[in-house]
Amino acid sequence: LNWLEKRIFVTGATGFIGGRVCERLVQAGAKDVRALVHTVQHASRIARLPIQLVPGSLLDRTSVREAMGAAKIVIHCGLAPARGILSTTENTLKAAAEAGVERFVHMSTAAVHGLTPAPGSETEEATLPRTGDHYCDNKGRAERLVNSFQRRGVPTVILRPSIVYGPFSAWSVRLVRELRDGKVTLIDNGNGACNTGYVDNLVDAVFLAVENDRAVGETFYITDGERVTWGDFIRAHVPMLENAPPLHKISKAEVVDYYRRKPGLIRGSIQQSGQLLRSRELRLLLRRIPAMERVQTALWAWMQSQPEERRERIRARFSSPDNPAAETNGNFFMPEEVTVATQTGTVFFSIDKAKRVLGYQPRIPFSRGIQLVEQWLRFANHL
Amino acid sequence: MAEKLRIAILGCGAITKSRHFPAVLAYPDVQLSALVDIDIKRAAALAQASNVQCRVTADYRSVLGEVDAIINALPNHLHAPIIIDALNAGVHVLCEKPLATTSVDARACCELAAQKNLVLAVGMNRRFQPGTLILRSVLEEGLLGTLQGYDCQYGGSYDWETTSGFYFSKTKAGGGVLIDYGVHLLDTLVDWFGPVVSVDYQDDDWGGGIEANAVLDLHHRGKYGDIHGLMRLSRTHELPNRLLVHGSDCWSESPASDTDVVLIHRRLAGQDVIMTLRRPQPNLGFRSNSFYKQLENFVRSIRGVEPPLVDGWQALSIIELIEQCYAHRRRIPEPWSEPVDARTGVSS
Repeated sequence: LNWLEKRIFVTGATGFIGGRVCERLVQAGAKDVRALVHTVQHASRIARLPIQLVPGSLLDRTSVREAMGAAKIVIHCGLAPARGILSTTENTLKAAAEAGVERFVHMSTAAVHGLTPAPGSETEEATLPRTGDHYCDNKGRAERLVNSFQRRGVPTVILRPSIVYGPFSAWSVRLVRELRDGKVTLIDNGNGACNTGYVDNLVDAVFLAVENDRAVGETFYITDGERVTWGDFIRAHVPMLENAPPLHKISKAEVVDYYRRKPGLIRGSIQQSGQLLRSRELRLLLRRIPAMERVQTALWAWMQSQPEERRERIRARFSSPDNPAAETNGNFFMPEEVTVATQTGTVFFSIDKAKRVLGYQPRIPFSRGIQLVEQWLRFANHL
Repeated sequence: MAEKLRIAILGCGAITKSRHFPAVLAYPDVQLSALVDIDIKRAAALAQASNVQCRVTADYRSVLGEVDAIINALPNHLHAPIIIDALNAGVHVLCEKPLATTSVDARACCELAAQKNLVLAVGMNRRFQPGTLILRSVLEEGLLGTLQGYDCQYGGSYDWETTSGFYFSKTKAGGGVLIDYGVHLLDTLVDWFGPVVSVDYQDDDWGGGIEANAVLDLHHRGKYGDIHGLMRLSRTHELPNRLLVHGSDCWSESPASDTDVVLIHRRLAGQDVIMTLRRPQPNLGFRSNSFYKQLENFVRSIRGVEPPLVDGWQALSIIELIEQCYAHRRRIPEPWSEPVDARTGVSS
């Protein structure tokens, strides 16, 4: 293919999606791939590839310009916290405009409709709401920025995946760890829409977005196109473990009620942290943020401060009949508010437009994707 | 030679800052004459932070006439050429591992050091760790019974505070996790179990990059006879981070989390027990550190008191082994990355 002969610049290349984009470019025979590397320590995966690693920061316009060089294709998977989402996208777009790129693929997210998208957001035509969540709103603003550059002549395409999973994904790494520790709770029986997208299906869409001129100026939801629920996603990981403890169950109403009665630090911290949700690195980082630790500590301390009788009542309330122990290994476990928000949506995004315009077909069904994830989890010593 | 050995440190990156520099300051028989770095500000900052009076320069050649010895802690590809310059100037060298990125270069360094009758020591600091020394004695005393083999697995997300980032450049680093970290393990294993007579090697370099994961199946022949061992290394994920040596009577565990000890796992009255072997020694602070011990050995070698524990020739044999691995490498299967549609690279 012609575009594979050209210089391709990938941002976010040390991340889960960008890393797989680089691998797939190499597999497809791309000859001149430049990957922006912000934190060299994170480059182990892509340093294996015959591509050029270019140090730099998306927050520094000069650095982006130099790293991009005379690239003709830009695949922008990079991210930064909060408003950094906007400035990094703007810097990359400006450099791309100067370089006269032939395609700019912007990795957005279905979360532009919030962590719990409202009914009506199934298709790309739906107007973006103001969600109140930093991550979601800034990703929405970034889309508007991309479209404004498109109007100025940069051939952009916006892709909106949702729950992207696959080898190297923190979703699965974290899930098997929490399953092993007995810390996974099905919210509303796991009926929430998961909108899975196997990473290779997403990369297929990236390639199609580069190849297909009809994609320019368009926005596409990209998922596996299967109605996989959070219960399906979580339960698919259970057989990977030997003797995993049973799953906890709780209703959304109970969690919401619980947090409603515990405002202040907890609500504030969680809302502020919402923006970090979708980034693997940031999510890992999240666990080290003192406020998050304080949330858990506060919950635990509050629980401990209650009279035993009341604790029993709370335990009983948060436990399902088939699983009487919501308290595991001495650690009281309540799903985080963001988890509840993410896992209780009802909207399954439509990939009809991607099929029609891009020619997208999700090649890896969920059942196969999970097998591939398991193979990698075993190799990477997570199982 | 001056009363105190005059020494210069070349390269003021992470390893110098945290290890070589404190060792030189702590060791009584050396005087730090110069800090050399291509980024002179970095060298100056290091000197200033510890209030050390020494020359600070970006030109290593200008210090060679003023010192008795250098510590070469530059990126890997600069090891050999600068060793050659130093030896030609009559300066002893302690070089960070790996000695060179090719065996040809490493051999040239060894031969020149021999010809000039200068010390060429190589920074395999693990040899000086108490746990390593204890395990050596455990093996020599036959504590484990007849040796049956070993298993070592070391891995974690790469987190070395690299200043120059050269680790991810094939031309500068010479390779990935094997030459960077495996070189230490191979050095100790060959020291204990003898030369490797055959090796099966796999890694995950896709061709033209550097490996993040490596799997070695090794066969040694030495004073304990034929020993078979497995090694697994990773820069992408956690591994158990320990060396196990299996014997007919019991097995030893050397945990990476505590390099001072060797744990002996055995049965006692039908029960599994663990004995901890640790040297009873007062806490000497940094003077117990393996880099301090390594510097001490280097200085004593220059003084003619003892030979270097790890000389260039030993390091050369390990580089030859690593070269052999790279030359006969097979790809670690990554079934989650395959199969691939030839047209677009799309999995099918």
